[in-house]
Amino acid sequence: MREVLFGSPLAWACSVVLAIVALAAMAGPWLSPWAFDAVDWDAIDAAPSTAHWFGTDGVGRDLLARTLTGARVSIVIAISATLVSCLIGIPWGAAAGYIGGPTDMTMMRIVDGLYALPFILLVILLVVLFGRNVVLLFVALGAVSWLDLARIVRGQTLAAKNEAYVEAARAMGVGTPGILVRHIVPNVAGPALVYATLTVPGVIIAESFLSFLGLGVQEPQTSWGVLIADGAREMRSSPWQLIFPASMLALTLFALNVLGDRMRDALDVPDRARSKTLKTQAGR
Amino acid sequence: MSRYLLGRLAFALVTLLAVVTVTFFLVRLAPGGPFDGERRLPPEVEANLRAAYDLDKPVVVQYGRYLARLVRGDLGPSFRQKDFSVNDLIAMGLPISVGVGLTALTLALLLGVTGGTFAALSRDGPRDRMLVLGATLGLALPPIVVAPVLVLVFAVTLGWFPAGGYATAKHFVLPAATLALPYAAAFMRLTRGSVAEVMQRPHVVTARAKGLSPFRLVARHVLPSALLPVVSFLGPAAAALLAGSMVIEEVFSLPGLGRYFVQGALNRDYTLVTGAVIVYAALVLTFNLLVDLGYARLDPRIRHA
Amino acid sequence: MLLAATALLLSSAANAAELRIGNGGEPLTLDPHRYNLNLEEKILADLFEGLTAHDAEGRIVPGVAEGWTTSADGLTWTFQLRRDARWSDGEPVTAADFVFSFRRLLDPATAASLAYFLYAIEGAADVNAGRTSPDTLAVRALGTHFLEIRLAEPFPFFAERLIYPTGYPVPRHIVEELGDDWVKPGNMVTNGAFVLADWQPQGFVRVVANPHYRDATNVGLEALTYYPTADPNAAYNRYRSGELDIIGDFPPGEVAWLRREMPEHLHISPLLSIMYLVFNVSEPPFDDVRVRRALSLAIDRELITGRVLESGEVPSTSFVPPMVENYASAVRDRSVDADAARRLLAEAGYHDDNPLRVTLRYIAGADSKKVQVAIAAMWKAIGVETALHHAELNAHFAELRQGNFQVAQAGWFGENNPEHYLELLMSSTGDVNYGRFADTEVDALMTEAKRTADLDQRLALLRRAEAAALALDPVVPLYAVTIRSLVDPRITGWRTNARNTHPARYLDIRR
Repeated sequence: MREVLFGSPLAWACSVVLAIVALAAMAGPWLSPWAFDAVDWDAIDAAPSTAHWFGTDGVGRDLLARTLTGARVSIVIAISATLVSCLIGIPWGAAAGYIGGPTDMTMMRIVDGLYALPFILLVILLVVLFGRNVVLLFVALGAVSWLDLARIVRGQTLAAKNEAYVEAARAMGVGTPGILVRHIVPNVAGPALVYATLTVPGVIIAESFLSFLGLGVQEPQTSWGVLIADGAREMRSSPWQLIFPASMLALTLFALNVLGDRMRDALDVPDRARSKTLKTQAGR
Repeated sequence: MSRYLLGRLAFALVTLLAVVTVTFFLVRLAPGGPFDGERRLPPEVEANLRAAYDLDKPVVVQYGRYLARLVRGDLGPSFRQKDFSVNDLIAMGLPISVGVGLTALTLALLLGVTGGTFAALSRDGPRDRMLVLGATLGLALPPIVVAPVLVLVFAVTLGWFPAGGYATAKHFVLPAATLALPYAAAFMRLTRGSVAEVMQRPHVVTARAKGLSPFRLVARHVLPSALLPVVSFLGPAAAALLAGSMVIEEVFSLPGLGRYFVQGALNRDYTLVTGAVIVYAALVLTFNLLVDLGYARLDPRIRHA
Repeated sequence: MLLAATALLLSSAANAAELRIGNGGEPLTLDPHRYNLNLEEKILADLFEGLTAHDAEGRIVPGVAEGWTTSADGLTWTFQLRRDARWSDGEPVTAADFVFSFRRLLDPATAASLAYFLYAIEGAADVNAGRTSPDTLAVRALGTHFLEIRLAEPFPFFAERLIYPTGYPVPRHIVEELGDDWVKPGNMVTNGAFVLADWQPQGFVRVVANPHYRDATNVGLEALTYYPTADPNAAYNRYRSGELDIIGDFPPGEVAWLRREMPEHLHISPLLSIMYLVFNVSEPPFDDVRVRRALSLAIDRELITGRVLESGEVPSTSFVPPMVENYASAVRDRSVDADAARRLLAEAGYHDDNPLRVTLRYIAGADSKKVQVAIAAMWKAIGVETALHHAELNAHFAELRQGNFQVAQAGWFGENNPEHYLELLMSSTGDVNYGRFADTEVDALMTEAKRTADLDQRLALLRRAEAAALALDPVVPLYAVTIRSLVDPRITGWRTNARNTHPARYLDIRR
């Protein structure tokens, strides 16, 4: 792991960037003297200055405070959505791989079928029809990002199941739960964790899409997607409103992608699985 | 082969039916009706409207009627766009979406495969590093950032391309470029990995030892097998691309299917939304089927499996 | 050779008297009886002409009717039609066309969502509810060129009510032949200055000059194309890169730059409208007038219009827009008073240990987002915690009509007639009285006003009704919206007006 995170100058830089973003998001409220929803009536639409390092938005709210709050919301949504995708993807893949036979066939056929669907349509429908709230947002995003994970977990389970020591354990009369806990889970956990991490940038991009279409979180809360969508509208007159959140988002995605690649290379996953994962990153 | 084809076809149809059913009921579960507007509707008027669109019947009856019409290829009247049927609207929007999508896909393939091959040939050299870095950057810049910047630079400031609309081929340049960027990056990484892998195979090593020119080596011996993963990525890429075109169509005011879908969803146009989702799904399923067939042709292992 | 051909094409495009208009969204129908949106109204006003019409300044002027008389009791209106009025296929426009059209509008089978606009006509509500047949409607043709309309109650603003597309004639001979297909390009026959040439939904609507229009010789433009520019930012980009000649909205942050760099393009003017907050008085906490007044007192309108919006919006303490003619609102300016607001909240039982928590709903959009964020900050200053919730226009008003809100943004616009606004505060108005406000005194004054044919007396009663209603703070009037347009300076005939109406027959482009 140390090799992945700090093995090259680029990797090292990316790890540092991610650490800074995560820390800043957590420490947000203490880093800026302004609350994310406080209005400075004397600095509406103000350019960056010593009072407001990132400038202010069209209502005079401090952009540094808002970018950090946005980071927090985007990251929370990404992580929660990833957890949701783990909750569906890991049991699905493990069950398919472990049970095998026609059940496996059917379950993986379903995954194949779902790959063919433009999922973002369903997410948009859900959000439009049932109102915008953060919980719905990450549940919906998570519910559509579990396919890669299911595939990987199935492959690992399948491989582990056929190992000689697992067969030996089974021959000695160890029950299914015992085999799962002692032999399968440890083998599957590593790759599952890596692929779960790789889901994060995809979810961040998907959230920014929804926000751009006006379907993101509600004011006064904000997220990177909301800030960028707003900033893009005022980019000519107030470029700082786009530049700060956009570079923060791009830096984070870049760092996540670089480290993700290294993790994947370290695990050496086959190409076909990799091709599917690229889809998640290329956006939906 | 034909059994394989029939099986895939049946599977695609079942998937489609599932999509139709889920969308149909999802849309009707939502709070708020299609006729809610800014101004009031007296109950008599609302009753007239509901009757005109069959909404006064039980949902199951509506579903049955919808399926019966769907089998005949009729997606019904649009709830909001009162002068057009959903078929009319999709017939107008689809060519635009498919046009932008295919242009972007072609662009992404050209850029990605060329870049990826070059990178692999000079693996770990400075050129490779630059290309890989560029691709990672391409994946890190979402269209919602790229699109406004491109418009500002190339449409408003330089005036080379129009900022929106769809009258001429020029109108497709900026949207297709924005849409292609992340996929070009994805294709590049894919090609790079797979070309590098094929280069190590014995027959390629032998061919190289024989002193074949790099160009002929790549064209004859490497790319045909190195492109397999790229082909298999085409299916999911097309699905994602079509969906990505929704944002692009909003930014560039392109009257494509994605815009109909988004506007339909925001306005609770039940039939338009359901119709758009069906057409999207059918398109992607067909495309996947074609890709799978192409893959089966390229890779003999699948044919026997 | 190719270059020469291109140059020729370019020059002919520049010379053709054509306008490209960003119309703010996609028309959902061009059937004047089925329309519902303001942006449809704009296209329809170029395609059709009703009995009355707008001039370039937005005043009500004779349209197909060259004049009209009203009986002493204000109930019978007789319109005299122009003899030279023609449909775009050359057929004359007759009184029978109008009779057919009013019946069609109110026929339940038409399912016209705005049919109630003409409920003032005797028998209209019954016909529309399907209780009586359309031919019982009190609209009669007196020969070919006279039309008599009887009203159920006196309504001095009827001539203004007739300018909506609901009052437009449709060509009986075409509608009866083609049914619902009559509005499709190629079929559609209209009587306005322009006629439909092509329509690609989400693409454009194109209209060309109607050679049979009665005043065709004075129409300068040959064609108009309306683009459905729903996103103000995209519309602005297209205007700036020369793809559109007129746009009706653009990002508010650009105003300062435009004032400096492109002042001859910029038109900013208040719209005859009122933007307000409405309280749901049917449930706590806003069933308590003290809470409503406290929140109202905390809002600084000048700060909102002067600092946040900065586009010349007109702050208003009266519910009737300040620019409505002949009407001086009795509601005096109410200044910001945070101390009084805190006191009122404390009386109602809210203080720092038990703060008032409210949800403010608003319509998605850049301007309204800024305003509501500012209002939430002003309420925070008196210790109120506000959660914001935005939704698309349709969804927003659907929730409001169902009474599913605490306090919400709302707006009303359109008529130079105080009743049009004050009706929203009558208990009998139904669900567009979003807050379910009901007060017997207000109801009595309004009912009496509606029975009064004399305009001055009627307005006096309306003034009393407004004062009585606002004393109970059911709504917080905020400001009259402004319209921000960009108009190519080569365009002539563009007159800024409070109705934001710009009939294309008065426009031209300098060549």
